[in-house]
Amino acid sequence: MDIPPLLLQTAGSLAAILALAGLAWWLKLGGAPVLVGDNDIRRVASEVEDGFEPLDWAVSQDHTAALARDAEGRIMLIRLHGNRFAGRILGAKAGARAAGDTLTVGCGETWFGKTRLIIANPNPWAEAINRISEPCHA
Amino acid sequence: MPDFNPTQYAVPLFVIAVLVEMIWAKLRAPEAYEPKDTLISLSFGLGSTIAGALLGGFALAIFIEAYQYRLFDFGPQWWAVWWAWPVCFVLDDLAYYWVHRAGHRIRWMWAAHVNHHSSQHYNLSTALRQSWTGALTFGFLFAVPLVLLGFHPAMIAICSGFNLIYQFWIHTEAIKRMPRWFEAVMNTPSHHRVHHATNPRYLDRNYAGVFIIWDRMFGTFEPEVDDEAIRYGIVKQLGSFNLLWAVFHEWIGMLSDIWRAPLRHKLSYLLREPGWSHDGSRETSDMIRNRWRARVAAQGAPVASSVATRNPIAAGSEPA
Repeated sequence: MDIPPLLLQTAGSLAAILALAGLAWWLKLGGAPVLVGDNDIRRVASEVEDGFEPLDWAVSQDHTAALARDAEGRIMLIRLHGNRFAGRILGAKAGARAAGDTLTVGCGETWFGKTRLIIANPNPWAEAINRISEPCHA
Repeated sequence: MPDFNPTQYAVPLFVIAVLVEMIWAKLRAPEAYEPKDTLISLSFGLGSTIAGALLGGFALAIFIEAYQYRLFDFGPQWWAVWWAWPVCFVLDDLAYYWVHRAGHRIRWMWAAHVNHHSSQHYNLSTALRQSWTGALTFGFLFAVPLVLLGFHPAMIAICSGFNLIYQFWIHTEAIKRMPRWFEAVMNTPSHHRVHHATNPRYLDRNYAGVFIIWDRMFGTFEPEVDDEAIRYGIVKQLGSFNLLWAVFHEWIGMLSDIWRAPLRHKLSYLLREPGWSHDGSRETSDMIRNRWRARVAAQGAPVASSVATRNPIAAGSEPA
């Protein structure tokens, strides 16, 4: 039976892809960075939005996510993505729900997903985020 | 006519090179790779190959038709005209510069090219992160002038193949700087790190494929500075490892913008630069850079450590 060259090439490439990704996993490449201090928050926030200067913030207990607020009252959600951080300035489509010390925040983008932060006193953050959702802030 | 596809032969070398860089990463910079990111980048490469095989015939048909109207004729044995090869290679690289520049400045083309930039990592697997939808942007039309000059489509395809192979090795943080003369003429890891950076100073710079001289000539060159850490990816990072979202997110965003925009602005969402909006609610790369410049002028530049100082290969070489 003749195998079409494109199919053969695809199968070979797929095997190589899985082998390389498996090797990266086996070698434990990547690591798990955490947000541990003020400088980390400031650095990551300025990476998400150049010039964003956090005035106050709350870092999740596991140090993989944070909320930060600047002088203009803008709230930024930061979370770990792989071994890098990604974030969004929350807008009218954002929403938050507090339950105990757990705060679940969605930025309104399906594929960015929801972020769960464990922080002390999450209610003021939830209220502030949900206020952004009000039409007058849109 | 030679039947030769250089990239086919290079694929095993690509795999070996990624393997070697992973070992380097294990020893020097484990954070340079992330398994899920690597899987996505390599899947992009595979999908791009399949898309090329399925859709590449359209570009070839256009080239063969255009070849009928060529200005110069290198004869039936065009492949034996030795000097035509280097000339074709250089002109193809010039065409690449412009198609690449258009790929960053026209949202329609960016919708496809953004795939190559959406990783927050910069390693050899990123080089293989190629678009599945490039054929939908008609970027191949930038090479039509070469066909009209008389270069055979097969010659152009072979030169483009070598161009692509050259660009593979520059996607690395393992090499800090090449020798000064090389940095002056050729595209290098340092120059191309700038191109993949989202730091405001680096946005939409260094479009070169092989020869960096095009950026120097056309005013888009920016050297890498050692006191500012590079961050890679796109201005609004994906934050998702979903392959299909990674492939199509900008197409969806663009079509959604066109759908919602007032009639007189619809075309602008297709043809203007990424980040442009009719109501000024978003920022283009120029706007981000200007805001950064104003802020730096007012406050003084922030200082951070270089991304490439851990490089073990060219530590003694002089920067260009």
